[in-house]
Order: sequence, then C-alpha cells, then structure tokens
Amino acid sequence: MSNSVYAALARQQGLIQEMQLVANNIANSSTTGFKSDRAIFSEFIAGTGQDTPSLSMGTLSAHAFQLDQGGLKFTGGQFDLAIQGDGFFVVETPAGERLTRAGHFLLSADGTLVDPHGHPVLGTGGNPIILPEEATTVSIAPDGTVSVDGELLDQVGVVATEGQLVRDSNTYFSAPDGFAPVEEPSVVQGALEQSNVSPVLEVARMIEVQRAYEAGQTLLEREDERIGQLISALRER
Amino acid sequence: MKSLQIAATGMAAQQMRVDVISNNIANMSTAAYRPRVAEFSDLMYQQFLTPGTITSQIGTVVPTGIQLGTGVRPSTVSMEITQGSLRQTGAELDIAIDGSGFLEVTLPSGEVAFTRDGKLSRNPDGEIVTMQGYALADAIVIPDDARRISISRDGEVVAYFDNETDGQPIGTLSLTRFINEKGLEAIGDNMFRETEASGTPNRLVPGSDGAGILRQGFLEDSGVDVVKEISDLIEAQRGYELNSKVITASDEMLAATTRLR
Repeated sequence: MSNSVYAALARQQGLIQEMQLVANNIANSSTTGFKSDRAIFSEFIAGTGQDTPSLSMGTLSAHAFQLDQGGLKFTGGQFDLAIQGDGFFVVETPAGERLTRAGHFLLSADGTLVDPHGHPVLGTGGNPIILPEEATTVSIAPDGTVSVDGELLDQVGVVATEGQLVRDSNTYFSAPDGFAPVEEPSVVQGALEQSNVSPVLEVARMIEVQRAYEAGQTLLEREDERIGQLISALRER
Repeated sequence: MKSLQIAATGMAAQQMRVDVISNNIANMSTAAYRPRVAEFSDLMYQQFLTPGTITSQIGTVVPTGIQLGTGVRPSTVSMEITQGSLRQTGAELDIAIDGSGFLEVTLPSGEVAFTRDGKLSRNPDGEIVTMQGYALADAIVIPDDARRISISRDGEVVAYFDNETDGQPIGTLSLTRFINEKGLEAIGDNMFRETEASGTPNRLVPGSDGAGILRQGFLEDSGVDVVKEISDLIEAQRGYELNSKVITASDEMLAATTRLR
C-alpha cells in the first residue's frame, strides 16, 4: 500500500488520542487542583527500504501537563487550602505518598486532617496532622502553620519534586525521584485552587483536532480514489 | 473514540453539580440548612508510555511519557460548615445555636438524631419537641401552669409561675459536638445521624469545650448564599455545554471515518 496512507494513519491515531486528551481536560474543567494536559507530536522517521527516501510520520510522542496556577475560589471553608505559586500538599495513600494541589480537606472521625478520599494529609515532619477534639477555630498561616485556638499545633507540608512528576488518578501526582520542602510556601486558607483548564483554548484545540482529522480522512479518500483510478487505468491497457 | 465516554463523564459530573445547586437553592429558606458543595477528581490515566521508561543504553529516560486521562468523577459532596445568620423571632421556644453543636433528638424508633433547627414547641404532655413532634433527648417537661420559660446561654431552662418572682429550674439543654461534622449522615427533616466518619457524639454544656451557646427567641437562617449558587449554576451549565460540544466534535470525527467507505 502507499506510504502516504501510512503517514496519514499515524497522524489520525495521534489526533484521536489528542481528542481524548482535550475531552479529559474539558471533563475536568471543574475539578479542584486539576492541571490541564497538552499533547506533543514528534516526527517519526521510518525506513522504506534500501536506497529509497525514508518516510516521515507525525505521532503523539509525549504529553505535558501545564503546571500554571489555577484561579483561587474563595469558599471560606476552614480546611479548604490552596497553594499560591509552587508546591504540592503531601497525602499518605496505601500506594505511597502522593502529591496534590487539591486542598479540599476534611477531618476524619479521630480528628485527622484527610483529603476527600480519606488519605491523611502530612505535616512537614511527614506525620499526619491530628486536631484536638475541643478545637473551635483552626487557622492555617501562609507558611502552612496550623494553630488551634491560638496555640501552635503543626505545619502542613508543602513540597516540590526533585525530578519527575507522574500523573495519577484523583488529582494526585507521584514523585518517583522524591520531593523536598518548598522554601517560603504560600498557603491560602478558605480558598480552593480551581482547575487550570481554559475553556476557550480547549474548544479552539478541539475544533483544530476535529478539522485536522477530517482533512486526514479526505486525504485518505483521495488516495483511495487515486489508487482505484490507477488500477482501472492499468486494467484498460 | 474514548472522547465520547470522557465527555459523558463530564456531563454527568456537571449534571450532578446542578442537582446539588438546585437542592441548595430549594433550601434557601430552610432553618439551619447547610449548603452542600460537589467536588470532583480525575479518573485513572491510561499509560501509553510511562514516564521514566529508559530510552537508551546510557540511561536517558522518557521525561513525561503519554498518559491519557479517562474523565472525571464526583469525589465528595460535603456540607459547608457555616454559621447561618440569626433571625429574631421572639418566640419562647425558638432556639438558635450560635457556634458549633447540635440538639439531640429521639426519633420514634428510639434512634438518636441530631439537628440544628431550633424551632421547638411543646406537645400535649408539656414535653419540648421538634417541629416533627420528636422529643429532645434532654427530656424537658414544661409544667402546665408555667407562665413563661427562659433558656439561658448555657442551656439552663427555667420556668416562671404566677405569683412567684424567682423561676424554678426544670432542666438543662445540652449540645452535642462531633469531631467531623461533615461526616454526619443527613436523614431529611433537618436531621442528621451519627456515622463511622463523624466520630462519636460528645455531649457538652453549651458554651464549654468548643460548643456554641444557645440564644432564645432566635432561629438560625439557611446558610445558602444565593448569589454564589447562581454563579456556580452558570458555571455548571456552561461546563455541561462544553462537554456536549466534545461529543458533537467526536461524533463528526466518527462520521468522517465512516464516510471513507
């Protein structure tokens, strides 16, 4: 079969995956602490045999999440925390420590600060933060210091990765290369960081992907016709 | 086409958000109602190319890889713990809780429930009951011949009789606190039930150990902020529309594919 069909096919597959990515971004446009994804295409050179020119194909090679700051939404919730600038909160999950920007925290039945999935939020010392039963006002300072009724209790850990960041479900990220505390973090109590998905950009990309896909299909159609014509022309001889 | 299912999860999530908002708006005049907020989290990621995969003999690795998300799901619908504003009613048995805590109610089944709705009244036997007629766990009976009663900030109920200047204490109201109020199970009628997540009920004297105080002649208004709800509603509606656009686009891409042959 002709090489142009293969090149178009590689592009179409990439576009379908990009569409999936755009759909995921839009679906998560209201997810607290969500970071949008972007697809990166790269050229893939395939050999076509000896002494013939090689074939260049565009495939989806990587994706990058945009760590831009999402807008802060003020909720007034006592345990709603948002990070301004760099850093992640650390939660202890059964699969290990995970990082997250989603700061909608709650208390468990024994007073431990947990995320909506029930995983404890860790303090700077790597320990869960446990609030006393009689606590009435809990204030969390910009550096993460937790004080209960005016008395110092603990400090919410804010960390940055020292290498890779791998996406996990539940707006978690894992950091296989470890993480270290952020110097001078900025935690905002009573606010949540909204998803950083920009609807305008996503819709523009969606239209782009859709049209590119249709263009690809048209190319395949034309190629099909061309080969068809070639075969019938050869038959007539 | 995964994008079709992904957009469907997005539409379902926004739909749920609208449900939560509409319930809040419907309860904008319900005494001591606490607004609920829906929170979402992303679903699993399909790992096409895991970050960290070694790409050469000298140990270079894939920096980000290809991870494709599969949509969104609701992670929690939690109660916002806000103090509703207090409205003066002047009624003797209207009690507002200023601060944290719940009144304990005994349901007809014998089960215990908790409420912040302080619209109380008395039943034919003189017992203090809730609007539904359920007795308070503190079981206070107001004598027939009491002229009026007063409830102090710390829960002391005093009855005044004709021809007497000093009242007689007839009982005390207590407040119950939970470590995690958001973990209570709402059972309707402004009432909540204890759960594993809420922690055990802690009965306190009003005004002590973090419990709020009682205010006689006031009721706590609904905590719903209508302006906020409406702006959330607009956001949810637009979010829903955006997701439906993804479905249309995916559908057109599929149509382009089927046109091929």
